[in-house]
Amino acid sequence: MTVSLKNLRKTFADGTDAVKSIDLDIEQGEFITLLGPSGCGKTTTLRLIAGLEEPTSGEIYINGRQVNDVDPGDRDIAMVFQSYALYPHMTALQNMTLNLTVAGLSKEAANKKALATARTLGLEDLLDKKPGKLSGGQRQRVALGRAMVRDPVCYLMDEPLSNLDLKLRELMRTELKRIHKKDKVTTVYVTHDQAEALILSDRVTVMKDGEIQQVGDPVEIYGNPANEFVAEFIGSPSINLIRADITENGISAGGLQVSTRNVPAGNGAITLGVRPEDVILGTVESDGLKGKIEFTEPQGGIVHAFVKLEQSEKILKNRDYLVVSIDVHESIEIGSTVGIQFREERMNCFDAQSGQSIETTS
Amino acid sequence: MRSPIRKTMDIVAVFLVAIYLAPIYWIALTSVKPMSDINSKKPVWLFDPTIEHYAEAFVRFEFGKALLNSSIIVFSATFITMILALIAAYALARMRLRGADVLALFILSLRFMPAVVIAMPFYLMFLKFSLIDSHIGMIVVYVGYGLPFAVWIMRGFLLDLPKDIEEAARLDGLGWISIIRRIILPLSGPGIAVTAIFTFVFNWNEYLFALYLTQADAVTLPIQIAKMVDAYTVLWGTISASVVMQLVPMVVVVFLLQRHMIRGLALGAVK
Repeated sequence: MTVSLKNLRKTFADGTDAVKSIDLDIEQGEFITLLGPSGCGKTTTLRLIAGLEEPTSGEIYINGRQVNDVDPGDRDIAMVFQSYALYPHMTALQNMTLNLTVAGLSKEAANKKALATARTLGLEDLLDKKPGKLSGGQRQRVALGRAMVRDPVCYLMDEPLSNLDLKLRELMRTELKRIHKKDKVTTVYVTHDQAEALILSDRVTVMKDGEIQQVGDPVEIYGNPANEFVAEFIGSPSINLIRADITENGISAGGLQVSTRNVPAGNGAITLGVRPEDVILGTVESDGLKGKIEFTEPQGGIVHAFVKLEQSEKILKNRDYLVVSIDVHESIEIGSTVGIQFREERMNCFDAQSGQSIETTS
Repeated sequence: MRSPIRKTMDIVAVFLVAIYLAPIYWIALTSVKPMSDINSKKPVWLFDPTIEHYAEAFVRFEFGKALLNSSIIVFSATFITMILALIAAYALARMRLRGADVLALFILSLRFMPAVVIAMPFYLMFLKFSLIDSHIGMIVVYVGYGLPFAVWIMRGFLLDLPKDIEEAARLDGLGWISIIRRIILPLSGPGIAVTAIFTFVFNWNEYLFALYLTQADAVTLPIQIAKMVDAYTVLWGTISASVVMQLVPMVVVVFLLQRHMIRGLALGAVK
């Protein structure tokens, strides 16, 4: 275990409970993401691991050693900041070697090490430049290089790509993945971008209001969300949440049967979660759900169709339209009325009251 | 092509500069005018320049000694003030002290007090500690009186510095003192320059404390120049020559520090 958080809590002086009793074990060489909306406590958790915040209670272990009272510089970690946080009065080389020289390495040895790291990041020609003379992407690489050159046991990254434009972000994302695959250094990565989290991570930790909602690999988080919040937060466009009831024959919505699956643990009202790609548009059937395609959003290879159900307000929980993802080559007609079916095996059921996931059986 | 508004503003600017410079020009002119021309009823523009007033300032009024006193006291006081202000301001700006804002305002409020209120207590204390008419005494007064304002200005500048940089430095293994020395100090150039100029100029021109607390050995320039006016005569030539010489160090300090006042060193550090 590289990083281990035990019952970790952080309450700020103003009474805000930023992190409420978190338990998390991060394996050696793992790339784990802390994902959640603003104010969910993900950055505070990262800063607690870094030692930039003091926990109100709980324990932090890095490489088996409790580090609650250890200075940030002695925790054997390296952090990449959202703002890069490069020293503006120092060159890229000096930025990268400061930690090494502080740790007692000779200037020559530090420079040699920095140069080797710079080569892997394509920074050799920029080492004598100060941050003010570098582009956003170059600064980000220097910040990354500053972390890499230290050979830490763990990288902490606080939304490191959020200040880059889309193209550069994609490029750096690939770069991060490549570096992690090569070096296998444990990485804790904070982001609010779910796509980034799903692409980069071995495991994703979804957080809300200072609590962990679910920890799992990207496929599990997307396919089997632990609750309505996770289901809705992950995926773009977000999942369709449908008010439904358990009946003798399965599940119904708006009085019409939508599934034959059993919900052993549930009773009465439930919420169905159906991803846009798990909705099938077909011919209208008298005893099935139907709706009118109001408009579409082409997204390149796929098209998102917005379907107004006959009882949209009553049936849909999180929006006015049922969103359906279809292949761009499938023909659909705006204004037409279509029959709606769901891929039953991929549906998620949630308790209507608690929002927690419930098992279904065929 | 300049717009009419821009042209008008240029003319107004030149006019304002002329208003500010006119007295200095007149003083500089007076300092090299013969006594008869200074006392002439009509302004004299053409005359044979003389250095007699400069010589008189040095020979008769011990200008050299006062200049040395002022230099020792003011440079030392400004240097000490800046070191203490930087450390205090850093603590107030960065450390999570309960009521840091109130404390900062309280420190500034010490400066609201009229100087004359504390001049007498200082006199009595200094008498007890044998600090009257000493360089150390004057340095203590100037540091004590200048510190609140310097801390306030420096705190404002330090609050503007991105916090991430210091956190990165902590992760790089630097301690507080190293962070101040290797990171904060080089990035605070503009703040330090502005604060140093204010502190230096105030101390260089200070009159009241120097009047109360010096007699002969530690007399500073403003006091020495004031001695050139007595009940019967005003030595305009000698006063002007002294004022010109008093101005020189101030102008030099401002010129030396002004290039550091240009903002933007932090550009590229964050985002």
